[in-house]
Amino acid sequence: MTDAPGNSPYSLRLSGVTKAFGSIPVIQDVDLDIRAGERHAVIGPNGAGKSTLFNLISGLFPLSGGDIRLHGRSIAGLSPHRINRLGLARSFQISNIFHRMSVFENLRIGVLARHGIRFGLFRPVDRMRRINDETDAILARVGLTARAHDLAGDLTYSEQRALEIGMTLTTGADVILLDEPTAGMSREETARAIDLIRTVSEGKTLLMVEHDMSVVFSLCDRVSVLVYGNILATDTPAAISANRAVQEAYLGEEADI
Amino acid sequence: MRTIIPAAILLIALLAVPPFLGLGWQNALVNLLIASLFALAFNLLSGQAGLLSFGHAAYFGVGAFATLHLMIAVEDGLPFPTPLLPLAGAGAGLAVGLVAGVFATKRSGVYFALVTLAIAELFHSLAPHLQGWFGGESGISAMRMPWGGFVFGSLLEVYYLTLGWVVLSILVLWAYTRTPFGRLTLALRDNEQRVRFLGYDAHAAKVVVFTISAMFSGVAGALLAISNETANYALFSAHVSAQVVLHTFVGGATIFLGPVIGAVVFTLFAYIVSDLTRSWLFYQGLIFVLVMLYAPIGIGGVIRHHLRHWRSIDWSRLAAPYALAGVGGAMIAGGVVFLTECVAILFGEEYAVAMRDAGDTLPPFEMAGMSWDPLGPASWLPPILLLSIGGLCLHRARDRIKPLWDAIEGGAAKEGTR
Ligand SMILES: Nc1ncnc2c1ncn2[C@@H]1O[C@H](COP(=O)(O)OP(=O)(O)OP(=O)(O)O)[C@@H](O)[C@H]1O
Ligand SMILES: [Mg+2]
Repeated sequence: MTDAPGNSPYSLRLSGVTKAFGSIPVIQDVDLDIRAGERHAVIGPNGAGKSTLFNLISGLFPLSGGDIRLHGRSIAGLSPHRINRLGLARSFQISNIFHRMSVFENLRIGVLARHGIRFGLFRPVDRMRRINDETDAILARVGLTARAHDLAGDLTYSEQRALEIGMTLTTGADVILLDEPTAGMSREETARAIDLIRTVSEGKTLLMVEHDMSVVFSLCDRVSVLVYGNILATDTPAAISANRAVQEAYLGEEADI
Repeated sequence: MRTIIPAAILLIALLAVPPFLGLGWQNALVNLLIASLFALAFNLLSGQAGLLSFGHAAYFGVGAFATLHLMIAVEDGLPFPTPLLPLAGAGAGLAVGLVAGVFATKRSGVYFALVTLAIAELFHSLAPHLQGWFGGESGISAMRMPWGGFVFGSLLEVYYLTLGWVVLSILVLWAYTRTPFGRLTLALRDNEQRVRFLGYDAHAAKVVVFTISAMFSGVAGALLAISNETANYALFSAHVSAQVVLHTFVGGATIFLGPVIGAVVFTLFAYIVSDLTRSWLFYQGLIFVLVMLYAPIGIGGVIRHHLRHWRSIDWSRLAAPYALAGVGGAMIAGGVVFLTECVAILFGEEYAVAMRDAGDTLPPFEMAGMSWDPLGPASWLPPILLLSIGGLCLHRARDRIKPLWDAIEGGAAKEGTR
């Protein structure tokens, strides 16, 4: 099925996506459709290939086979910055921020990109009112206003995760990929992160890797289960946790989920 | 205000003092200004963007040669204002930097450094064979032509021309750090991958930084060409590339004016010490190693650290151990210099001749206006005493300084979390 770019009912369509590192297949013939506006989780055991899938979608790794469409337009072979400009932003499993810059500046870099001021060389950035106001607004949304002028490297772990989410908002992307945004958080921190993710993904398409089924239940419309590089099933969270094959392959062996 | 007043005082001094200095000092100041601009241009790439180049001599040299070619054209009647000659250096640095940058920035880290090194070596090995462009082994020369009432015959005029260009360039480079692209440059150093996922073409950005750095290096080379009225392929040598690395890191690559501090210190050091001893390059290397080992943030970094904590520093307690450290450092320096100079004399040609003349014995040697017996314990006692007492002083000083600084920094950390 070919959609005209721009009015596809799907934000992301993966068809026959395959990735091998050397001779080792990590992603095998994955088909996955993410509807525009849905919140979709990818779950699966360690090493299943979830992060690799994100790296393929966001352009960090080239595909070994298959195609990926963003808003109906093929993005296979595009570099990360082109994919970002087409409306996809991501966070990383391990915090990936500008450690030696202030929290404010971490966010402002993305806001500048959104306004196309990428190579601005003729005006001081501190005088760009609109840019700085917009950055302040995102700071407030992710609850880091009080930390604006601290070095990002000095933030606590959960603050850094919030900053990462903020960075995915800055470039104005409407498809957001979050790789384990709540991993390693305490119960309260997780609850706060869920609220944050819910509000910031309002009106956007969200694809997230998540180990914690309670997070998936409270946040996501649909879930895909990835095992050994294959999608085992895609369904609502309730149907997935009732699914026999999933329980055997994945949920059964990790009783805490 | 805190930076404007000292900067204004410095500028007034740089404007008012040189007419009262001798030619030697005027020349040293010209070289100091050129080295400062070169180091600052280099640090845009190495310090701010985190791309360590080992071949910046290429853009410095290209700037110098392009300027000399323009000067030759002016000699032949081209109506070009002499004060604007550095534009030729800027243009050449920009053009060559753009081409080199496209290739070099495809890699990062060690591979980037090696590519830049190779590019400079390419110029260094090709230049002696290219008569038309680089004047073969002897290089090319041209005269500064009078323009608009200025003769540009005296060193003082050259000094003011250099000062004008260097101050202007420093202001532009400072303004650069405050633009969106200037901030992106820092982000590239911090985390290039993240920059790409925020919609930036990181390679293109690195090429632009490289090109701007090469352009200002070209201006520095141009100023050298104007001052010397000649240049040869030695400008492309690894020594020139290494010198700018040394200046930058001793001064402090993480501080905007750090490279200037390094350039000033080493140019003055060379001017004063190179007349006194032939071992001055060794001393310079030794200083570099010591700074990297004990103060890797550089001189500028140490100064900034003190300024940052200025209010919480209790000088009545810190002054004495600092003085002790100064005395210890001076004694160790004395011991090292003594030994270095002895070794230089004992293994030198003159002493070999003296040894032959004296049969198989070791004759006494002259140093610092005194005669020393190489086998007499009295000759080796001074350096041993200097080194051991100096070491003891430094050790005691450190034991007293460290807890004081721990307290200062601990207090600051508490303030931060409050
Ligand atoms: N760059 C790479 N080169 C080679 N092998 C890789 C690379 N990246 C990932 N792999 C391998 O691919 C497999 C899937 O890794 P991936 O990180 O995608 O798993 P994951 O599902 O995200 O796991 P986790 O839950 O631990 O984050 C692993 O076996 C891993 O070793
Ligand atoms: Mg992973």
